Amino acid sequence: MNRKVLLLGLLLVAPLLVMLGSGLQHDPHEVVSPLIGRLAPDFTLADLDGRPLALTALRGQPVVVNFWATWCQPCAAENPIFSELARRYAGRARFISVIYQDTPEAIRAYELQRGSWGPALVDPESRTAIRYGVYGVPETFVIDARGVIHEKVTGMVSFEGLTRTLDKALAARNLGEKL
Amino acid sequence: MISILGRLVVLLALLLATIGAVVSFAAAQRNAGGAVARARRLAYAYAVMMALATALMIFALVRHDFSVSYVAQVGSLATPLHITIVSLWSSLDGSILFWGLILGAFTAGSAFHLRRSAPDQLGYMLGSLFVVGIFFTFLIAGPADPFAPTPLPVPTDGPGPNPLLQNHPLMIIHPPMLYLGYVGMSVPFAIAMAALFAGRLDRDWIRALRSWLLVPTGFLTMGVMLGGWWSYEVLGWGGYWAWDPVENASFLPWLTAIAAVHSALVLQRKGTLRAWTVILVIVTFLLTILGTFLTRSGVVNSVHSFTQTPIGPIFLAFLAFCLVGSVVVLAMRMDTLASDPDRETLWTREGAFLINNLLLLVFMFTVLVGTLFPIAAELVRGVKISVGEPYFNRMAIPVSLGLLLLIGIGPALPWGRADNRNVRRALLFPIPAAIGGLLLTFVLGGRSWGVLATGALAGYATWVNLDQGLRLSRRRREDEPWTEAVGEAVRRGARRYGAYLAHLGVIVTFVAIAVSSSYQVAHEATLRPGESMTVAGYHLTFEKVNALSEPHRISERALMRIERNGKNAGMLEPALNRYDSRMEPIGTPAVRTTLGHDLYLSLMNVGTDGSIGLRAIVTPAVVWIWIGVFIIVLGTAICLLPAGLRFSDRRPDALPGVEATA
Amino acid sequence: MTVRGASISLLLLIGIVFSGGIAGAQEPAVPTSEPAPLGPPLSGTALDRATEEVSSLLRCPVCQGLSVADSPASSAVDLKAEVRRQLAAGYTRDQVVAAFERSYGEFIRLEPKAEGFNWLVWLMPILALVVGAVVIFLRLRPAHRLPADGGPHPPSTAKPESKTS
Repeated sequence: MNRKVLLLGLLLVAPLLVMLGSGLQHDPHEVVSPLIGRLAPDFTLADLDGRPLALTALRGQPVVVNFWATWCQPCAAENPIFSELARRYAGRARFISVIYQDTPEAIRAYELQRGSWGPALVDPESRTAIRYGVYGVPETFVIDARGVIHEKVTGMVSFEGLTRTLDKALAARNLGEKL
Repeated sequence: MISILGRLVVLLALLLATIGAVVSFAAAQRNAGGAVARARRLAYAYAVMMALATALMIFALVRHDFSVSYVAQVGSLATPLHITIVSLWSSLDGSILFWGLILGAFTAGSAFHLRRSAPDQLGYMLGSLFVVGIFFTFLIAGPADPFAPTPLPVPTDGPGPNPLLQNHPLMIIHPPMLYLGYVGMSVPFAIAMAALFAGRLDRDWIRALRSWLLVPTGFLTMGVMLGGWWSYEVLGWGGYWAWDPVENASFLPWLTAIAAVHSALVLQRKGTLRAWTVILVIVTFLLTILGTFLTRSGVVNSVHSFTQTPIGPIFLAFLAFCLVGSVVVLAMRMDTLASDPDRETLWTREGAFLINNLLLLVFMFTVLVGTLFPIAAELVRGVKISVGEPYFNRMAIPVSLGLLLLIGIGPALPWGRADNRNVRRALLFPIPAAIGGLLLTFVLGGRSWGVLATGALAGYATWVNLDQGLRLSRRRREDEPWTEAVGEAVRRGARRYGAYLAHLGVIVTFVAIAVSSSYQVAHEATLRPGESMTVAGYHLTFEKVNALSEPHRISERALMRIERNGKNAGMLEPALNRYDSRMEPIGTPAVRTTLGHDLYLSLMNVGTDGSIGLRAIVTPAVVWIWIGVFIIVLGTAICLLPAGLRFSDRRPDALPGVEATA
Repeated sequence: MTVRGASISLLLLIGIVFSGGIAGAQEPAVPTSEPAPLGPPLSGTALDRATEEVSSLLRCPVCQGLSVADSPASSAVDLKAEVRRQLAAGYTRDQVVAAFERSYGEFIRLEPKAEGFNWLVWLMPILALVVGAVVIFLRLRPAHRLPADGGPHPPSTAKPESKTS
């Protein structure tokens, strides 16, 4: 038994295996947004009818911003979830969506067919999506009453998850008002 | 029905592999020829079972038998027949079955070819192959079972294979080539393990190792190139290599295989580097398993990777078994493979081989580090980072130039003698060729230092390799006819001819890569019907968009009229394809290839108003990359000619004109 | 052998030191206002070249492994336009890359920043080259001690090597 070879070999092999093992625990597609805990980048975008909407105008209540497109299947699956959430939190939180790499015509046709749960904003040259660091759709940002990004959901949102986040954001706001 | 039959056949194969492993190792330990012959027959039976299982799966695919889960996963009534057959390797489960088929073929092929070897070496080799076979057959039988019955109710149609894989005919040939290279590395690995177990790496076994190393190396070379060609023709960005983790995974074992091919030469000639060659071959195999793990476990981000599956941990376990097992076997048995007591001097052929091995290994290590570093960073820092093209290019360019230099220096140096004057003359003699290469590059417009250096080194290396090749076929007597001299030379030295030819292929490829990556011109434009754009001497006019409805996709083709220097150069039709299963359109670029350059058109989008977003790229010398690699593979094939393997070593006294039998 | 062993432990040590250094650095919760452009506004071919250069350093967010410069995806085209706008406004190359990093995270950089733990990805290959060269050098027989016929040394003067180099 050549101990030197054994030792050297295992010294090379062990860290490799540990690393690969740890790699299995992570989803390579999920990137933690550096924007969490920071002030949400401001934007003023027009909806499909040309009415401008500024993010700062919504300060004081939690805002959910959803980036989506009609060509994205999970986005379509999110539609009923957002409709239900918008109903449940009516008057307490705002739900808006930003269109990503899609045409207003396609959105209009889509909304005629499946309804709408909030303003869909047109984002020329994806400038807002770029400032929010959107990697793909759907992505959803939860912004608290102070305008700070509370959470980012990559991929499809879950009803329970978003409810929990919104309730937390609302509780924090109420606490803030009392102080 | 097919489900049951397929599972039965796979289970039988698993049984055969298990019995085969036990019989082989037992026979090898007793050095019993009869028992090894039995193990050999088990290898044939195993190969037959794998072929049968694959045939059953193809039958199910062609019959659109959606009660078989794999067919339900990748099949679709709308898919054309040849794509249906090819979808055997378009998704994880089927690709592992295909892997099993090739492993069976290699096991049986090497068992047959080496049937006259010493029983202990052959037995240990078969045993090692069977162990690899057990793992992959186990995968097919359980965790990645393509024959699993579809849960009821059985669907009447399926989604069809991944659109990216349907898009180009190269996808029919690229994966088999790559798999032949990847899986084939199991054979030299098994031969190396047998050398360790038996404690002998003698002349016959070295020859076996070398030929069974060259075969998969040739396929892997081809496979890697075809992968690059495929991405060039399909992915629409105008490049052929993005240092994507999966591309890297195919490149890693190639680098060590090339290193092993060269160190095996030193071993054959000088009797040194014995254990080192064995290590290189084992590392090559381990890298194929690592690469397979990377592509199939979803630990890295990649275009080519299969979606995340539960197969990851099982593969990791096998990788760990192979890694630790190899280390332990090496530690226990390596000292039995002592080299002949000799050391190398730097300015000799073998000295150049050592530097070659160093550079290839550093190259491999760099690519490995770059590929795995994001995982390490996430583990240590908890942050996702990217290691991409800029990093790899920066690191690869100096190493590649070093290798190009060695292709020139190595063959010019003599074996084993370091007479300073001779060495100096051998190395200085080709300098004019280097200057010629430099000037030619400059005249043709090369300005960056990288391209100029490539030109100079390529000139030098071309001269040396041509000179060596021609010298081989020099007449020995004044009255000897040329034809006889060349015939005799090929017969005696096919191996060396093949090597010089492969070197010339590498030089062509290197130059083509340097030129094509340095002098690409790209232009983007939004065009309305009738509008045109100009790029590098081409005048492109957009006529209209044709929407073609095919059974499995809707294809939007932009008709582009091409004029070069005022002369009509035909039409190109870059397309965007929409498949039912997926809404994002996938582009099919249109390429006009000439020997000098490629015009590459990529359709980026089709607007509702009939306008298009078009990207036009003109890249010089691309086609020479493919040609260069074909030359490398041709050279490798010549190295494997029976003359090179048998005549030169075994029958030096054979009469001219007598053909050797393999 | 010992050279390599020592170098590996050295690498591990470097890794630990660097990673410790990183953990200590915390960023502020709320960013200060947008930084001012530090360079001259670019235009013409200088702008074209800089746009190409910077976008080849950024990962196309919707692709896998391709740079913004290479990718034909329409999202990449938008990112390239943003790069161009910022360069035209006088932000330096480093500033532009940093701006993208602020919204996308370090993942957007195709080339790891040479700092902290990331140094390893740059240093390890160089270290491997040096270690390998040393091992080969120690193994080589000096040319002048060569016997005239170029044959092997007698076994007594050359100890059998175990070639793990």
